[in-house]
Amino acid sequence: MKPLIEFAGVGFSYGDRNILRDLDAGVFENQCIAVVGPNGAGKTTLLRLAAGTLAPVCGEVRLKSRDLRFLKQREIARSVAFVPQNVEVPFSFTVEEFVEQGRTPFLKMFGGLCAGDYEAMRRAMELTDTWSLRSRVFNQLSGGERQRVKIALGLAQQPQLLLLDEPMQHLDIGRQFEIVDLICLLRREGIAIVASMHDLALIEGTFASVWLMSPGEPIRQGSPDEMLRPKVLEIAFNCQLHHRPRLLERMRNPMEYTV
Amino acid sequence: MAGQVTVEGTIYERAQKHKPWLLAVLSAALVLAVLVAAGIGAVHLPIGLLARQLIGGDSLSTDQQIILFTIRLPRIVASLLVGSALSVSGLLFQGLFRNPLADPYVIGSSGGAVLGASIGVFLLPPISVAGFGTAALLAFVGALASITLVYWLARVDGRTPVVALLLAGFAVSTMLSYSSYFLEVLDRDFGTGMRVLASWLHGTIAQPTWPQLAIVTLMLAIGLAGSVPLARNLNTLALGEEYATHLGLSVQQTRIAVIVIGSILTAAAVALGGLISFVGLIVPHMLRMVLGPDHVRLLPATALTGALFLLVADTVARAAIAPAELPVGVLTALIGGPFFLYLLRKTKQEVML
Repeated sequence: MKPLIEFAGVGFSYGDRNILRDLDAGVFENQCIAVVGPNGAGKTTLLRLAAGTLAPVCGEVRLKSRDLRFLKQREIARSVAFVPQNVEVPFSFTVEEFVEQGRTPFLKMFGGLCAGDYEAMRRAMELTDTWSLRSRVFNQLSGGERQRVKIALGLAQQPQLLLLDEPMQHLDIGRQFEIVDLICLLRREGIAIVASMHDLALIEGTFASVWLMSPGEPIRQGSPDEMLRPKVLEIAFNCQLHHRPRLLERMRNPMEYTV
Repeated sequence: MAGQVTVEGTIYERAQKHKPWLLAVLSAALVLAVLVAAGIGAVHLPIGLLARQLIGGDSLSTDQQIILFTIRLPRIVASLLVGSALSVSGLLFQGLFRNPLADPYVIGSSGGAVLGASIGVFLLPPISVAGFGTAALLAFVGALASITLVYWLARVDGRTPVVALLLAGFAVSTMLSYSSYFLEVLDRDFGTGMRVLASWLHGTIAQPTWPQLAIVTLMLAIGLAGSVPLARNLNTLALGEEYATHLGLSVQQTRIAVIVIGSILTAAAVALGGLISFVGLIVPHMLRMVLGPDHVRLLPATALTGALFLLVADTVARAAIAPAELPVGVLTALIGGPFFLYLLRKTKQEVML
């Protein structure tokens, strides 16, 4: 099977600060991947490379075997949706108007929205349980609602791959579980998901594989079981987990400690 | 498109209603305002006779017709054009800068226009092209030249960051408008030129000729036609540059298109009416409170409301202290400023601008 997105020898740097080197990895249909690693390891950069908004310094990023450099961003955005961490909207757009922007890659220069566009928007809002919010002003939503609306915008692109940048950040535990449930639902809908994650306790049971990034090290891939071991994490995050036994326990048994 | 669309047999009801009646109400108000404004002046023209004359009758006397067609109507058309151009240009720049406080002069056109007008008033002999005097012509050229300069200054590696545009616009505009004081000091005419310039700086719609109006109408038409495909792009751009890029919008092209079209509109308005403050700021702003921020919906409403607003302001400006006249820019600032502040305070709690 061909991967949806494939990194082939990808390297990236901001100026002379190296972020990624010789990355070889692939995201396949229906896969659900958590990207973890310390701040500055390049999690967001990785997502942006996959979304085509950053071009690699060397190597190739391929979407269904085609080099992203030779694809128009409109084409990429019809298969890959990127949900950024923060969105600042200067005007009081409603949720519906916000989600409508997800149809941008499908619209012609002078054409308006057609029935298919509305169907996609409705489906996106229903999946994310934001249909009832659609006349609310985006800027007045709570953090959890806002996150689901952002995901709705991504789903309105009818993507095969959804890239989520820190989808649980600044959310309380209840809203975090809403997003977890949503991710599981989208997985069943056949959408591949790559999410950068800080809260390691939420990974097990939701994500099938983990990419562990660490500055200056090659990416390590494996199941949550293999990757979320104290020894592995201590090295990757450069910290001492065994001083925090309760943290370790919580990570192994998230449900017991959060319900 | 109406408020609902049929999707696979069910009706998708849009949450945000388009309020098509607003455009109808605005158009009706515009027609009424034109009739009232045409009647007001040193010689009163009754509104019923005016209406009959304008739909093809012959109800006015020859003298009255001369007053109507050479004095009143040109001025009315001019204020409609200027108001519409300034408001649409304000809407475009607010969308581009993702800031509801941007106005048509935000990227430096006013400074260039001031300097151009001063050169025209103080240094050059009075000539005219298609009815435009030297001050108006040079103001037009100055506005376009300063925007070009600002754009060139703000350009880094083939991109034009918004902050760089704003800062360069501010600096260039201030430099140019202050350098016009040099010319004022050199003025040997003991103040005549100053007075001409002052009335122009404060925004005055003088007595335009029909050829002038034809040219500005053409520019407005080009500007409006060009804004139509941009309106949707500005909605996408509101999500931020990176997000818009990801969604397939060519941000740089959109930016250039907005600057070009906004500049044509601003320069056209400047050539006809000088610097008129607040119109381009408050008209899009007011409508955003009624219609929401969707630029596709805002565009036609802004064009109509801008025209209506400036027509009313200009009519008051010439009638309030007749036979003398106020510069209309003074009036828009005096009315527009407090009104803007009122709106700002009133909506502060409910709507994040």
